[in-house]
Amino acid sequence: MALDADVVRLRRGDLNALAELITRYQNRLYRYLLRIVRQPAEAEDLFQQTWLRVIEKIRSFDASRNFDAWLFTLARNLAIDHLRRVRPKSLDEPIASSEHNELEADRIPSKDPTPLDDALAAERRMEISEAMSELPMIYREVLTLRFEDEMKIEEIAQVTAIPISTVKSRLRRSMERLRYALEARYPGGLQP
Amino acid sequence: MSDHAKIRELLPLAAAGALTSAEEEQVAEHLRSCIACSNELAAWRPIASELYRLPTPQPSPRLVQATLMRAQAKLTEQAEHDWNRRVVIVLVAFAWLLTFANWAVFRLVSGRFGTLLDLQFGHTWISFAAFNALGWLAGGVAAVLLAVRQRDQRRLA
Repeated sequence: MALDADVVRLRRGDLNALAELITRYQNRLYRYLLRIVRQPAEAEDLFQQTWLRVIEKIRSFDASRNFDAWLFTLARNLAIDHLRRVRPKSLDEPIASSEHNELEADRIPSKDPTPLDDALAAERRMEISEAMSELPMIYREVLTLRFEDEMKIEEIAQVTAIPISTVKSRLRRSMERLRYALEARYPGGLQP
Repeated sequence: MSDHAKIRELLPLAAAGALTSAEEEQVAEHLRSCIACSNELAAWRPIASELYRLPTPQPSPRLVQATLMRAQAKLTEQAEHDWNRRVVIVLVAFAWLLTFANWAVFRLVSGRFGTLLDLQFGHTWISFAAFNALGWLAGGVAAVLLAVRQRDQRRLA
């Protein structure tokens, strides 16, 4: 696999290459960390720590690996260590709803808020985002990697270091739990 | 588990686009004859579709700048560390070179340069060993003191 030019430059200690990579990955990486830890301030700190870890480890990065998967694996390890230290229960349990009343995603206005349909759709997505944040960490993670980062199942398996069959069963369970939560909010079901 | 139940388990994955081509064929085949599963898949699709379109949370604009500043400090520290390691290697090699060169100087001073490789345990040999041991000890202490001082400076920065 050919190495990304910016990754090659970063291996030589080029700060501009790092700036390029951070800019390129900032939204995806931040979103992934926010979905895992659910607190914007913690996600921002982990975002910085992830890039510092990239600098430390870039020389040992195996060129045959996918940089995206490697980057997300570093971020994941840091986020899980952080949760183990700060909120060990959050690795398994959903948090109380008061703790995530102000999700970062909630503060993002719709791109086109004037038509009623768009407003309703934005509200629905917010509801989904909230329902998703109430799921356990392993389910939130697999949902964000599949749907928001649009990673293939094989890439998710690399990032999470679990077999493909486990990724699929996690994905299925996460969707089932999300649907259950949404049906409790919308008894009539989601309108396409 | 019946085929129907197996296919039903695959439906959320079908909506998520996470099936292999063989599984996709299996599902398509089953849906041709099962209205219940077709309806079930139809219920999964809007959920998947909304998940693909969730709003992306944006990091604060200062985050990238703050990350770059910390990264720059880290890169500088790493470059300094690499430089220090190279300097230490060169200095140690140079010190060994001087140690061997000193032997010749000692033999010359003691008037026995002709027997350069004669390692008889004598007065010259003891002086040579003591001189070099003192040199290495002083060098080692200086290196440790410098390393401690540098570490303290880094902590304060």
